[in-house]
Amino acid sequence: MATVTNWIDHLSAKEVQGAVYPGVGTEGILVLIALVLWIGWHVICNMQETSKLEKLARKRHGASDYKNNISDW
Amino acid sequence: MTDELGALTTVFTEFYYWITVVLMFLIHVGFCMYEVGASRYKHHQHTLMKNTMLIPLVTITWFLFGWWIYWAFPTGPGLAPSIMNESAALITDDSAFSAKWYVPSSDLMAVNLGDHISGVFWAAFLLFSWTAASIVSGAVIERITTFAFGILAIAIGSVFWTIDAAWGWHFDGWMLKILGYHDAYASGVIHAVAGGFALGILCVLGPRIGKFSSTGEPRNIGPRNPWLVTIGLFLIYTGFWGFYAACNIPIFDLGPEYGMEGVTYFTATNIYVTPTTLSGITMNFLMSLSGGLLVGYLISKGDPFWTYSSGLAGIICASAGNDLYHPIQSMIIAMIGVVVAYKMHYWVERKFKIDDAVGAVAVHGYAGVAGLIICGFVLNGYPSSGYSVGSMWVGTDYAPINPLGMFIGAIIMFFVLGFLPGWILAKILHGMGKLRIPREVEIAGLDYDIMEASRDDEKSVASSTR
Repeated sequence: MATVTNWIDHLSAKEVQGAVYPGVGTEGILVLIALVLWIGWHVICNMQETSKLEKLARKRHGASDYKNNISDW
Repeated sequence: MTDELGALTTVFTEFYYWITVVLMFLIHVGFCMYEVGASRYKHHQHTLMKNTMLIPLVTITWFLFGWWIYWAFPTGPGLAPSIMNESAALITDDSAFSAKWYVPSSDLMAVNLGDHISGVFWAAFLLFSWTAASIVSGAVIERITTFAFGILAIAIGSVFWTIDAAWGWHFDGWMLKILGYHDAYASGVIHAVAGGFALGILCVLGPRIGKFSSTGEPRNIGPRNPWLVTIGLFLIYTGFWGFYAACNIPIFDLGPEYGMEGVTYFTATNIYVTPTTLSGITMNFLMSLSGGLLVGYLISKGDPFWTYSSGLAGIICASAGNDLYHPIQSMIIAMIGVVVAYKMHYWVERKFKIDDAVGAVAVHGYAGVAGLIICGFVLNGYPSSGYSVGSMWVGTDYAPINPLGMFIGAIIMFFVLGFLPGWILAKILHGMGKLRIPREVEIAGLDYDIMEASRDDEKSVASSTR
């Protein structure tokens, strides 16, 4: 996984390789993982938000009911 | 980097953009404080979370495709040939500033010893993207779902503002060549487009419950915490310094860049690679802020909310030409922009029943559009680029700045890339039933459950004896 194991060898090479992160060459896989995480986040959060809003809507609280919930720690 | 002077220039430029990013972070802090201050008690926490979550959403998509769009789209595609490869296609070839280097799997999109600039430049643009999305965020508070806002934030932050930046905020952009478009500090490419986008959404989203009486008279809602709004706007001003600096290239030798044989001329430049000075734009920034504040105070009869917002609107209006204006021109243009923004806000509110909760469409959209149009007259005849200047509509060289080109540019920014996409996307989300929170939740307050849980916790703790 390590791209660099010896800085002296790395920097004294005829052409210094710029990319020094671990796993050079696996960028495509990393992008796929990022895509899955991004889309997955939207899907899960959408489900969470929908259920939360539906639950709260069913309770039909009045416009000033929240004032009973103001805490003063 | 093997020569000391070259290394110094590169590392200075790297650090310069890094500092602008840190400063611009304050814009987002300011927007968050401002929105929380403007929202009502029962919606505070959701309002804050909505604006906060645009940070990761826009950042990830900016990494995945936003940055690529900026470098690929300057030609339209198909509207004007690139000066780098003389093709009007998307710029994805092997040329130096091609989008090819900015696909997310490129080794330049990471720690790379051969490239000290791409990452900080990427980040500076990303902070502009957050700002674009955050402008929209304030207008839609207290009734939009977080899901819908996330989609819309990505659309404006990583797609539509990026396209307009490629077209009109890039040295190779087709709008410079065909229209003579000039927008040095983003009156149009950030503010007008985001204001237009917000207006498009608001047309579909509708007003907050209670905003208009049964006869259609608008009612004032808040701000609940004017002090938080004040600090928020001061932080936005502060971050705006970084924004201005980030729109410049700090050091550039224009002699060889323009092909002038034997000429060496080091200077700071704007994003179009035409000369300006950080010193001069600092004067213009402060004079346009002052012009905005003066008129805002006057026109709103000392209303703090409008006075602070007008300072911002003043800067936004003068921004298109603040690389070249005289400071007093800057101040006068800012004053005009504030009058336009203030009057338009209340006219649109009454006429079309649009509930723009924080005046974002006015401060960013209308002031931005006014700034572009005024810039066309005041800078009429200046070259839009240093590379070559030709006649309007040719497209192979650069048209000079002119009133008609700037007017068309303003329509493209506010309406074509702002209003229309915002309206269409909001319609789609509305059709899916995902745009607006249920009426019952809006009445009860988005934070009802969180507040109820907090009260229960408080009671339990207060009644505890051990």
